[in-house]
Amino acid sequence: MSVTPQSGSGSTESGGGIANYVRRVIHDEDVRERFYRALFYVAAAFFLITTLFPFYWLFVLALTPNSDILAGDWSLPVIGIDFPHPKGFNVQAFVEVFQQIPFHLYVFNSFVLATVTTIFVLIIASLAGYVFGRLEFPGRGALMLIVLAISYFPPAAFLIPLFDAFLGNAIVVPFLGIELFSIPRIVNTPWSMITPFSALFLPLSIFILTTFYGQIPDGLEDAARVEGTTRLGALVRVIMPLSAPGLATAAVLTFISVYNEYFFSSLMALENTPGNWSPLVGGILSYQTQYTTSFNLMAAASIVGVLPVVLLVVVAQERIVSGLTQGALKE
Amino acid sequence: MSGDETGFERETRRSGPLVRVTRWLENLGETTFAYLLLIPLLLILSAIALYPLLRTFEFSLFTDWFSQGPPEFVGIDHYVNLFTGAADSQLAGSVTFLPDITVNGEFPFVHAAGIYRSALVVTLLFAFVSVFFETIIGFGQALILDKEYRGRRWVRAAIIIPWAIPVVIQGIIFFLMFHPSAGFMTDWLAPYGIVAARNTLNDPTSAFLIITIGDIWKTTAFMALLILAGLQSIDRNLYDVAKVAGATRWQQFRYITFPLVLPALGIAILFRMVGALRVYGLIDSVSTCTTVPSLSCMVVETFNTHRGLSSAIAFVTAAIIAIAVSGIIYQQYKEGSI
Repeated sequence: MSVTPQSGSGSTESGGGIANYVRRVIHDEDVRERFYRALFYVAAAFFLITTLFPFYWLFVLALTPNSDILAGDWSLPVIGIDFPHPKGFNVQAFVEVFQQIPFHLYVFNSFVLATVTTIFVLIIASLAGYVFGRLEFPGRGALMLIVLAISYFPPAAFLIPLFDAFLGNAIVVPFLGIELFSIPRIVNTPWSMITPFSALFLPLSIFILTTFYGQIPDGLEDAARVEGTTRLGALVRVIMPLSAPGLATAAVLTFISVYNEYFFSSLMALENTPGNWSPLVGGILSYQTQYTTSFNLMAAASIVGVLPVVLLVVVAQERIVSGLTQGALKE
Repeated sequence: MSGDETGFERETRRSGPLVRVTRWLENLGETTFAYLLLIPLLLILSAIALYPLLRTFEFSLFTDWFSQGPPEFVGIDHYVNLFTGAADSQLAGSVTFLPDITVNGEFPFVHAAGIYRSALVVTLLFAFVSVFFETIIGFGQALILDKEYRGRRWVRAAIIIPWAIPVVIQGIIFFLMFHPSAGFMTDWLAPYGIVAARNTLNDPTSAFLIITIGDIWKTTAFMALLILAGLQSIDRNLYDVAKVAGATRWQQFRYITFPLVLPALGIAILFRMVGALRVYGLIDSVSTCTTVPSLSCMVVETFNTHRGLSSAIAFVTAAIIAIAVSGIIYQQYKEGSI
């Protein structure tokens, strides 16, 4: 890992070691290659440590009894260097997380919201992906442009009228003042979150599926049609099964996006209670606002909340990588 | 939708409503069929995006709902008040929209004070600073991921994980790390004057720094993946040619890697700008919206009491983001992918 051992073998005079090594890096191809490799491992280790250290910190806090956290002394036992390490092994914190507040209900809400949104998104995006990927019609480019543009607008630009409508106030034609109808009061229900989530996360899935559906050879669809399937039958029986990786990608990314969403999740449930369909965000924030000094519980709750996505990343990282790059670069 | 379902059935010789709908669907022209299938998409986008966007603009032209009587038309007053500072008193806490700008003879002639109180400056500064560091670190990560070695899969998973975790947990992590009584970072950094020693999370400059670091930690992975895709689309033969020609590694990077990865890099930067400009959750969970006042934060803080003003802020936010979005659209239009 370190570069100094390699310099030791060549240098005989003390003090000239580093200068000697630098000279050899510049002139000797072999030494240079080894130097580059060492540099590479140092950089890789650096990135691994910086990305994973915060999770280590969560474990340290969760396992340390709260009184020891508040004492605040993180120096290591023998050497005395200040470095965070678990001061105890208080697994009880992971049980307490579910006892103080019904944390499992918040996580359950998140799962329901993410699953229902994913199903909606897959259905709508499949139809749209089929249309954009396989049909030629006037207005195709313009429509795709609108879909793309809408997906980048800030949620804050949608919030005020949506909140107004979800409270049960009338939908009014903009600028004309004509009241159309009012929808039932849906704040504190899953629908107040599923609808904005679907709109926000649809475009990415549409672009992923457009690419996949567009790549299926026309011959396969034609063969299915000759067999007597309808156009939609061909979509469901031929195109969608052949695009299974694309569907999996869209599903994983939508699920993760909904599970991670903060803006509407924290605003559409008026109180942070599971009965109001407050998801994970509400559960974690409850610890922050109600149990302001139970740092070990905040950390334990975060670990519980993060586990599902970590598992998803480990299992489906190929899909995530290809989906993210396709959505942006559309290769 | 019920009409679409029937399309899944195999056509039979039976007659009945199902068969008639199927036959009708099959005989539609391509354009009509296309628009028919797009109905669900168009419905949800107009209900959840188009309608609110227009309504937000309408709200921003009227007095605040919760003042006495029905809202009155005030034209662009809210926008004027925002940019002249007249609306500052209605924003939460001591937040202003623009910083105090004074012009005098002293270098650098234009002086801005209270930039960490200004919602507009905080949002732009946050976006530029975090995207700048994400680009550099993301490039480094992408170069690491571009190599073949044992365990590459695990390195990649480790780098992606921060991107995939919920914003609220990202917030709690940095809240706990910098909390004066729970965290260790304050003890480490406060002696050097990098963050405030007491009340760290409610100190505007410290909180801004912490939130920027938090964002860099989480979203660099996204940058790295986009740059990696750019790197992997480079033809490897180019490097062989360069080696034969005697190019050094730096020259290979300078004349092959960098120029060829530039288009992907540009798109990645614009994407991240769009994301960073709408920051809200991280601020709300690490600190408070009045300590680090991003534009989205101000919309949320004021929309229950000053609907007209809040809508105006929301629309300004959308307009700023629209500039970055048009950059993305132009880039992709140029590449012919739309």
